[in-house]
Amino acid sequence: MALVHTQNLSFAYPGKEKKTLDNVSLTIEKGEYVVLCGRSGSGKTTLLRHLKSVLTPNGRRSGGVCFDGRPLSDLNAGEQARRIGFVMQSTEDQLVTDEVWHELAFGLESLGMDENTMRLRVAEMASFFGMEGWFHRNVGELSGGQKQLLNLASILAMEPELLILDEPASQLDPIAAGNFLDTVRRVHQELGTTVIITEHRLEDIFPAADRVIVMEDGHIAAQGSPTAVSEALWRGRMPMFSALPTPIRAFWQAEGGGKPPLTVREGHRWLREAFPDRPEVAALPENVSRFSETDAAVCVRDIWFRYGRNAPDVLKGVTLTIPRGCLYAMVGGNGTGKSTLLKTLCGVCTPYRGRVQLFGRSLRHIPKGELYRGCVSMLPQDPRELFAHQTLREELEEMGADAERIRDIAALCRVEALLDAHPYDLSGGEQQRGALAKVLLTGPKLLLLDEPTKGMDSTFKAEFAALLRELTRRGTTVVLVSHDIEFCAEYADLVGMLFDGGLLTQDIPRRFFSRNSFYTTAAGRMSRGVFQNAVTAADVALLYMENKGGQE
Amino acid sequence: MERDVFSRCHPLTGFVYFFCAICFCAVVRHPMYLAAGFLAGLFYFLLLHGEAGMKKLPGMVPFLLVVAALNPVLNPRGETVLFTLFGRPYTLEALVYGVVLAGMLGTMLVWFGCFSTVLTGEKIVYLFAPIAPALSLVLVMTMRLIPSFQRKLARLAGARRCIGFGLEEQTRWRGKLRCGAALLASLTDWALEGSIITADAMRARGYGTGKRTHYRAYRLSARDGMLLGLTLGLSTAAVTFGGMQAEFLPSVSMERPGWGLAVYCLLLALPVLAWGKEELQWRWCIRRI
Amino acid sequence: MNRKLFLCTLALTVLLPLTLLLGSRLPGRWYYLTATALLLEGMVPFFLSFESRRPQARDICTIAVLSALAVAARTVVVIPGYRPTMAVVMIAGIALGPESGFITGAVAALASNFFYSQGPWTPWQMMSYGLGGFLAGVLVPRLFPGKRSWELALFGFVCILTVVGPVLDASTLFTVSSRLSLSYAAAVFAAGLPFNLRHGFAVGLTLWLAGRPLLSRLERIRRKYGILSRDNN
Repeated sequence: MALVHTQNLSFAYPGKEKKTLDNVSLTIEKGEYVVLCGRSGSGKTTLLRHLKSVLTPNGRRSGGVCFDGRPLSDLNAGEQARRIGFVMQSTEDQLVTDEVWHELAFGLESLGMDENTMRLRVAEMASFFGMEGWFHRNVGELSGGQKQLLNLASILAMEPELLILDEPASQLDPIAAGNFLDTVRRVHQELGTTVIITEHRLEDIFPAADRVIVMEDGHIAAQGSPTAVSEALWRGRMPMFSALPTPIRAFWQAEGGGKPPLTVREGHRWLREAFPDRPEVAALPENVSRFSETDAAVCVRDIWFRYGRNAPDVLKGVTLTIPRGCLYAMVGGNGTGKSTLLKTLCGVCTPYRGRVQLFGRSLRHIPKGELYRGCVSMLPQDPRELFAHQTLREELEEMGADAERIRDIAALCRVEALLDAHPYDLSGGEQQRGALAKVLLTGPKLLLLDEPTKGMDSTFKAEFAALLRELTRRGTTVVLVSHDIEFCAEYADLVGMLFDGGLLTQDIPRRFFSRNSFYTTAAGRMSRGVFQNAVTAADVALLYMENKGGQE
Repeated sequence: MERDVFSRCHPLTGFVYFFCAICFCAVVRHPMYLAAGFLAGLFYFLLLHGEAGMKKLPGMVPFLLVVAALNPVLNPRGETVLFTLFGRPYTLEALVYGVVLAGMLGTMLVWFGCFSTVLTGEKIVYLFAPIAPALSLVLVMTMRLIPSFQRKLARLAGARRCIGFGLEEQTRWRGKLRCGAALLASLTDWALEGSIITADAMRARGYGTGKRTHYRAYRLSARDGMLLGLTLGLSTAAVTFGGMQAEFLPSVSMERPGWGLAVYCLLLALPVLAWGKEELQWRWCIRRI
Repeated sequence: MNRKLFLCTLALTVLLPLTLLLGSRLPGRWYYLTATALLLEGMVPFFLSFESRRPQARDICTIAVLSALAVAARTVVVIPGYRPTMAVVMIAGIALGPESGFITGAVAALASNFFYSQGPWTPWQMMSYGLGGFLAGVLVPRLFPGKRSWELALFGFVCILTVVGPVLDASTLFTVSSRLSLSYAAAVFAAGLPFNLRHGFAVGLTLWLAGRPLLSRLERIRRKYGILSRDNN
């Protein structure tokens, strides 16, 4: 029986010609787990917001939405608040109150629930989520993952029939994201709640979906089981294909037959069955690093750093050389000192022992005025932290460059068309490019990026990587720290891994990720024991085709 | 604070107690009562804050000395003239009164210090939420946002520093102020954008759909009843017994304190006594184990 | 004005003189308690009218954000004695109206005292900050409809010097004086003048530099709220 039904729903924002939603007809059954995917700007969020009246944006609209057989507008605000739960992307801003118990109770208080029921519901939620330990904590003390779990729990306390999640894990690190999405699945399985979820990282949710709906330019481009959708995306050469989990992409790119593997485990089995014996060509050629060790952009020798006199050491003797003109990726878990290392490279944190050299000069001896003008610059994790003006043009003009240079950089970052927009009205990817343009106007020889791919969809990632490539081609050295090992494996020249405040190892991605057995890409894990150094879906597909071609 | 009794009580108990205590401290001028109030408050303050409290106290001493010394200058009444200043008499009585005033002020500050620690913001909000739901919600959100904004400010300053707009690099006030204004603008944009999401989240959870109820995180227990009863009983007794009048100008005269003083001491030492009782109970329990 | 508010005003017209009458019969230093009680009663109509208009989520969020900004603004520029809090409160008053301005100021004062320490000054600070926001909301749109930077700065400076500062000084007067006399008042206000000048200067400067940018940001967010959400209540 249908829980949600939209009939020829079309929508356009005020002042916009283009329809954000174009004739969307959709039915979602009770108890389904539906994954809604699509590129940024494909209308996913707008569609989801149409399923709850208080969140529906203003604009021109036609068509209708039914919930449980009644038009959505017939349900009053209280009923909608109770029956339809909506979790958004931002971990911090969704919180209303300052203590965990109060946050859990907030929705119930708003609905005017009586005290005994409220106590019971809150207690139930706290136990279901294992929150007893932090029930009386201040929300400011929680980690991002805990905050998002709290957001979920405080929605679930109202016992909604439909749970809508709009990119809930995109601001979390991979471990917290995995934990959160597992919890959502547990909610679906144990409570039978109907779930509609969108997410850029599909690895965790795609295989388990009852149904996948793909949106493109405001209309539904494909829908069905994960297998069917992946086939449709591949056959239709649709851009969303690049966002699918690695095993599926490798399978279709290798033109494998049968049912595509959805998880790493299935992918591994697929390769095992395809190559019961050792394949003829097990390794791809490893191109040696084309960078000379002598011409170093960054030279760090045995640096130690701590944030306070009695604080623990964050960096414990890091020694590192980054060649000029390379795209260097620093990976590692949470709290291993990645971001702190970046801060020492740009002089915000000063190590208490050891030395840092940039382009052969000691960092300490470069005057501050010169350091951030033409030497080093950093793009923070949240690009919005650089914005302080009302239009992107003013942002760029703030940097004091002449009009021609602003035009050049804007063209390079492809933000010319966005110059008159307010920075906060841009999409996440556009904000990233705008902030990058601002940073590039300082003319850095060394560009530092902190988690640049957080919350980016796969298309944006490819574009962003191309932009970074162009910069390194022009001679800029780019250093990024990231949790996104798939991105690092695909695009970096060199990868280093930090652990416990020290550099563990550093190598070209192919060698780096093929040596690791756990901390590696999905392709690396699924091809373990079959291929030696396949680290991306394309690598796996290439080796597969080469061997299969040889056999026939 | 885990060992303080009032910190673990219902906020109402603490609120009523501190209301009574601070009202007495603001009005009573009798030196003996004053000394009792100050010592009880000081003892409680140090119990609550430990070593850190020791460092906080000396800061208010110069201010109190100024208050004490200044009173005779501004209030020239009094019989015993010590000397004349700017042609006005500087009298002993006025100086004594000045010292008493300073003592009252010090007592109030100490008691307010205890109040701030025991009745944290969320407890005050909890107390007033049923009376003023919207206002207390504003207060709750503000108190959540302040530390979050301060953290964000640090991040913003760091981010701007890395593109050459660091506050640290500015030596002139003009530059500092311009940097500060840009930071404030940046923070405002971010904060207001976040407020849209918060407002959405509130409405998505049914805010404004009807009359709000309130989750009761605290319950009035028998102990709360006892403490409340003691507070109100002792306060009434102290007022009825009286004996807390004192006059300083033009001459010093004060009532003989009787039972009133004992009751008053008991009232103001209540938190310390309750603390002590629990300590003893623990000792006793541990010995039995 | 609704009925509840009317009744409240009526109650206050009885309550205020009654407090004064009873308070003055307290022994000794009656005036601190009495004045504070009068002050708290004086704030009640503002709070009540805020409650009774049943503010929407967006109003609550905007006021909370501005109050928190006002408090956090103190840490923006670390120059000793530089307190830009009132500048943000006044901006709130101008952008959101006198009533919201009052609430923003009062909440900012109360909340910041939770982070530092409560004291005998808390109610007075609430009242003076609230009044600053209220007056900005009432006067600025009438006196300076252009809202030019220097006009905002001038208003801020004058308002601190004539209203906000003196109300804060009054709290000192009531807490430290041995009796209410002209010489005491003169001494306290004279001692407060340098502080008020510095405070007014900081607020004026902040309004001059950041006033218009902040106002345009609030204006933008108001438009954005309009686009994003339909009012169904």
